[in-house]
Amino acid sequence: MELLTLFFIVLIATGLGLLIQWLPMRHQPMPTYPQRAPFLGGGLPETHAWSRFHVRYYPMTLLLIAFEMEMMFMYPWAVVFVEQGMKAVMEMGMFLAILSVGIVYGWREGVFKWQ
Amino acid sequence: MIVSELILPVALVIGVLVVGAYLVAVLDEAIAGAIGMPRGGSAWLAPLTQGAWLLTQHANATEAPDWQAWRLAPALYLALAAIGLAVVPFSPTLIPTDLVTSVVLWGSVEALATVVIFLHGWSANTLLALIGAYRYVALGLSYILISMFVLIGVALPAESLQFSQVVTSQEGLWNVIRQPLGLPLFLIVGLGMTFWGPLNLADSRDLAGGTASAVSGPPRLVWNLARAAMLVAFSGAAASAFLGGWLGPWLPGPVWMLLKMLAVLAVLLLIGRLVPRLQPERCVTLMWVVFLPLSFVDLIWAGAAAFFL
Amino acid sequence: MAVSWLQRLAARAAVPVFPVRGMHGEEVLYRLALTPGIKLVDSPRHASILLVAGGVPPDQHDALRRVHDQLPGPFATLWYRSEPLDELAGATRLDDPDALPEALKTIHRELMSGKRGSSPRLLPDEPPNPWEGLGDDGHGGKGMMGGVPYGRPMAMNMTDDIRDGLTLDSLTVTLGPFLPMLPPGLTAEVTLQGDLIQSWTTHSAPYPIALESVFFQALQGPVPIAELERARARYHLKRLHFALRLAGLDRLALEALRLAFAPHPGQDRAMALRRRLVRCGFFRLTTTGRGRLDENQARRVGGIAARAPGLEEDLRSRDAAYRRLEFTPIIQGGADTNARWCQTLAEIEQALQLADQAERDAVHTQRSDGVETPRGPWHEQWPEEASDLLDDLLPGLEWDEAMSTLASLDLAPLSPWSLEETSGAPVPTSVEERRA
Repeated sequence: MELLTLFFIVLIATGLGLLIQWLPMRHQPMPTYPQRAPFLGGGLPETHAWSRFHVRYYPMTLLLIAFEMEMMFMYPWAVVFVEQGMKAVMEMGMFLAILSVGIVYGWREGVFKWQ
Repeated sequence: MIVSELILPVALVIGVLVVGAYLVAVLDEAIAGAIGMPRGGSAWLAPLTQGAWLLTQHANATEAPDWQAWRLAPALYLALAAIGLAVVPFSPTLIPTDLVTSVVLWGSVEALATVVIFLHGWSANTLLALIGAYRYVALGLSYILISMFVLIGVALPAESLQFSQVVTSQEGLWNVIRQPLGLPLFLIVGLGMTFWGPLNLADSRDLAGGTASAVSGPPRLVWNLARAAMLVAFSGAAASAFLGGWLGPWLPGPVWMLLKMLAVLAVLLLIGRLVPRLQPERCVTLMWVVFLPLSFVDLIWAGAAAFFL
Repeated sequence: MAVSWLQRLAARAAVPVFPVRGMHGEEVLYRLALTPGIKLVDSPRHASILLVAGGVPPDQHDALRRVHDQLPGPFATLWYRSEPLDELAGATRLDDPDALPEALKTIHRELMSGKRGSSPRLLPDEPPNPWEGLGDDGHGGKGMMGGVPYGRPMAMNMTDDIRDGLTLDSLTVTLGPFLPMLPPGLTAEVTLQGDLIQSWTTHSAPYPIALESVFFQALQGPVPIAELERARARYHLKRLHFALRLAGLDRLALEALRLAFAPHPGQDRAMALRRRLVRCGFFRLTTTGRGRLDENQARRVGGIAARAPGLEEDLRSRDAAYRRLEFTPIIQGGADTNARWCQTLAEIEQALQLADQAERDAVHTQRSDGVETPRGPWHEQWPEEASDLLDDLLPGLEWDEAMSTLASLDLAPLSPWSLEETSGAPVPTSVEERRA
């Protein structure tokens, strides 16, 4: 039942978002081509903007994957934490310590800089 | 049954989002006036007149946008805000959707927000919006871990991933005191999710409005509405996770909840007005090297506090 | 019925104005920034009025037409001290700065109520290139790059990246002259890979900036130092306003502007402004120590950019009157964006302090063979226009870094007319005069 309610909430919010756009826009004419040109302060682009965009933070995204995997284990761990006592603290402490070394190493290697 | 489990939750969530988004705009206007921006007219009316103007302005188009994605992105951002608010408890009984894993769901809202904001900038197919979109991804990937660690911190004493249990676990002592690092770190996440103030890397001024630089009229209205709504949803999560949600003397629970949400919003909007926008590279470094280790400390602190407090 | 109710509400909104900054048009925009009920926006998509402030040289009329056509309807234009384009001969023209806010509000109201029609489109409704290519998406054709889908070719890989050497697609665009982040009038052809600038070719220099007439008088004879130094502080504060707005510090940006327009700006207020900037993290969060000028470049730019790295070029130290006020040039020992802003703030404070001191003793300048303008020394010749050094300076910078570096550099040539003249007399618009 909760999930059904959530589904309705998503449906209605999305519908509301689309309706507010669609209702006033349905009678509007299509903008002219000069209006549709990208705004560059009066300048023009040579090409479309879509391209193989050179993302500059790719090493950081790799580091993120290491953490994201770990997060999945943390959710069940959080629930049994108090029950398990010191053992749980030690385990996660060790895990975080290793990851912290990774961050420090990455920082030294400049992975948070724009490449 | 239908009324209590379907209509009431939906009405509650949509109502709080719309009224909340309006209040965000009013509050922001009032704060701007109070700290010395030129004020014209009443703060109560300003969001309405701005909204009315956007409804009359024609929607812009770009040369070859990804139409579906471009129009869907603002609506999806609004829907994410609605999901975020739906798991927030207003009282022990008044919870739109009391999922057992609501903390996990909130985490996924944060991750999907990055996708939607990226989509909004990318689908326009213009240079400045595209830069804003990719720049935002760098921020989105940086704040998400901080948020995870901080939220797991509040789940420890509750022994549950349910926001209502998290609130109940604060009956003795609110998390804002029990885990002093938690709320400040979580506020950073809130600014990041809504790219507000210092973390406005997506729609910044150096990009002439970034992902929103090519939109006008109704789609821009929905985008602004969704952004404010996300701020409201975030304040709900922050108030339940750290400020004891509905807990409080004298007043009924939902009133306490709304007051606490307003307090969180006021702090966020004030930060937004007082701190400059971070340079992207500096922002990523700061997130990973300063705030992420601090969130480790917060988690260990929360773990220790769960035993001893 | 419902429509008119919506329109009435929309008419009461803060007027969103996209300013096209023409020659000598800045001054009135500073005033508008302080006017309640007017919102200066950064993208033409967010505006209902296109305000052309100041003359636009004829060779940039095409760019102006493009910006004009990029406003979504309904919109109107207002020409402040500027000749409307031929096609828009009927558009409102206004020369009185005091009437401007009211005129903008009236136009917005009329536009919303339907009393005034939207400005006509100036350019023909045609795609930039004819469709070329095969298939639904137009990517077809021969080779990797295919045809010209939806009016433009796709981006392609031109050269290896200058930072990490990877070969991804380059985007080449022309920017300006009305891009709000650039100095007004600056146009450049820029190639980007990702958000990093690969190459920057300046095509036309920024429009000249007018100095206050006291700097011109200082070349004719003695002028009160108090007046000269306050004018200097005002000049720097206006530049600071621009940079703070760019950094998202709207409130402090207005504070800088209010200080500039205060009848007797005190040194204490400038110090308070600097303290607030330090406390909110302006120096640490928004700059990364890039945008470094070498010695030759710093000398060419002159003024603040030269003194920040420690080149003591200041004509004021040759003047006995300044020496009596115990003037010594301030230096920072750095040549990056951060050092230039530290230097600017220190010089604002110094100028206001000198002004207070000089006013007490009624000190006048003694030498009139040269004057230290805010842009650098001016005796036999003008401070040189130096925008072509951007071609060497900006490649390799990320977009945000490039924009904050640009804001910290004062590259515009000086106008042969004073600020008082340009805000009083009509502005000459011919290219020859602009380049004189």
